Amino acid sequence: MEELLKLLPAFGEAMLVTLGVSLAGAAIGLVVGFALNALRLAVSAFNLLYQLYIWLIRGTPFLAQLMVIYFGLPVIGLRLSAIEASILSLGLYSAAYFAELFRSAWGSVPTGQVESARVHGLSRGQTFWHIQAPQALAFALPLLGNQVILTIKESAVTSIITVPELTMAAGRIVSTTFSYVLPYALLVLSYWLLTMAVAMTAEYLGRRATRYLRG
Amino acid sequence: MSNLPLLQMRGVGKSYGSNRVLQGFDLSVQAGEIVSLIGPSGSGKTTALRCMNFLESYDEGEIWIDGQLLGYSGPGRSAKDRDSESQIDEVRKPLAMVFQQFNLWPHMTVRENVTAPLVLGKGMNKAEACALADAALARVGLAAKADAYPARLSGGQQQRAGIARALAVNPRLMLLDEPTSALDPELVEEVLLVIKGLAEDGMTMVMVTHEMSFAAQISTQVVFMEAGQIVETGVAPSMFEAPKTERLQRFLQPWFNRSLTPRTEVAG
Repeated sequence: MEELLKLLPAFGEAMLVTLGVSLAGAAIGLVVGFALNALRLAVSAFNLLYQLYIWLIRGTPFLAQLMVIYFGLPVIGLRLSAIEASILSLGLYSAAYFAELFRSAWGSVPTGQVESARVHGLSRGQTFWHIQAPQALAFALPLLGNQVILTIKESAVTSIITVPELTMAAGRIVSTTFSYVLPYALLVLSYWLLTMAVAMTAEYLGRRATRYLRG
Repeated sequence: MSNLPLLQMRGVGKSYGSNRVLQGFDLSVQAGEIVSLIGPSGSGKTTALRCMNFLESYDEGEIWIDGQLLGYSGPGRSAKDRDSESQIDEVRKPLAMVFQQFNLWPHMTVRENVTAPLVLGKGMNKAEACALADAALARVGLAAKADAYPARLSGGQQQRAGIARALAVNPRLMLLDEPTSALDPELVEEVLLVIKGLAEDGMTMVMVTHEMSFAAQISTQVVFMEAGQIVETGVAPSMFEAPKTERLQRFLQPWFNRSLTPRTEVAG
């Protein structure tokens, strides 16, 4: 018990770093992913670029992407801190998955919805924002929550470039105290608490957003 | 008023690859007319109707709406010859449409479904749009459901809301794609009554329907199609009473048999 209390402050601090890095990364991912899907719908020529981006991000490990950004960008004169590089990498990485989620969410809205908007005078843009987006986002909310969870878990990789997040903190404690069980149990519990909170929020928001379907 | 037709189609055709789903389609609709498109499933009725507002592109012929060519500006009919979407929107402005599957927007209340085209499409202010919406909803007997979401309505009520939405944009021509085909038999009547009301008020309509008695009753012009082509055209009710082609006779036979059978009256 005493040992546990001693570990808590370090874990609390590291949890905030994990939360900050992964939520900032997921926020970038959401915005970029949304934009990718919107551009794909608006400009058909953009589709090729979209495909290329998805293919590149999905086809390579996150660790490799992180290395390219952290160690590669300084070559072209852009030196980022470990935290900045991690946020940017998580953002670009999750953007591909978020974009694909938005794509399938937009695909889930029946064509008839768009047709009835277009023939009654709504422009493409108005149809996107007023007809497709509300239905697609309500459909996508639980999936988006899931992707945020994956982003939180992927952030463990950033410990490799010395971001003082949960995995890094647990490793440091293990290497100084040589006690394995408690730090790693706490590590698992901490991730689980974070991801549960995200899952429950997404579930709640998803239910609220589809209230209209139940009249 | 000039006697320029509201809708004029000349030699309209459409193919999917080598499959010609519509060919040589001619139709002229004057203001105040009610045209019924009838025919077996897959005969191209719905395709013809959907070409009229360019939900489907056509690749042969011409479609004129109120004197403006729809979808194309030149003689070419391939994908690259198509007008921009905003040009197409401009030409189809006088049209509204009622869909088989209603296609109401489920995240909006019934009133919002009716006001959205007015506020977004026409830039009308909210108060004015609400007044028009409430009038349209009253006309289809749905005033009491204005604040409900579509999921709360019966099929017949949803379709009446769809008609109110089409009505509120004050169209010069209304297209109806099998407006009662997705409804329980019990709910068909209430929708047909609303459409009949519109007809009596002089609304110009083109309707794809399988309701033969209804078509015979309200149409000024009937078009019978098969395999993408017009087989017979005529005026109601004579076309139903004395079909000229053997094909139409055969198509109408089951309906004839049914209407000749005396109905059993249900006491109530």
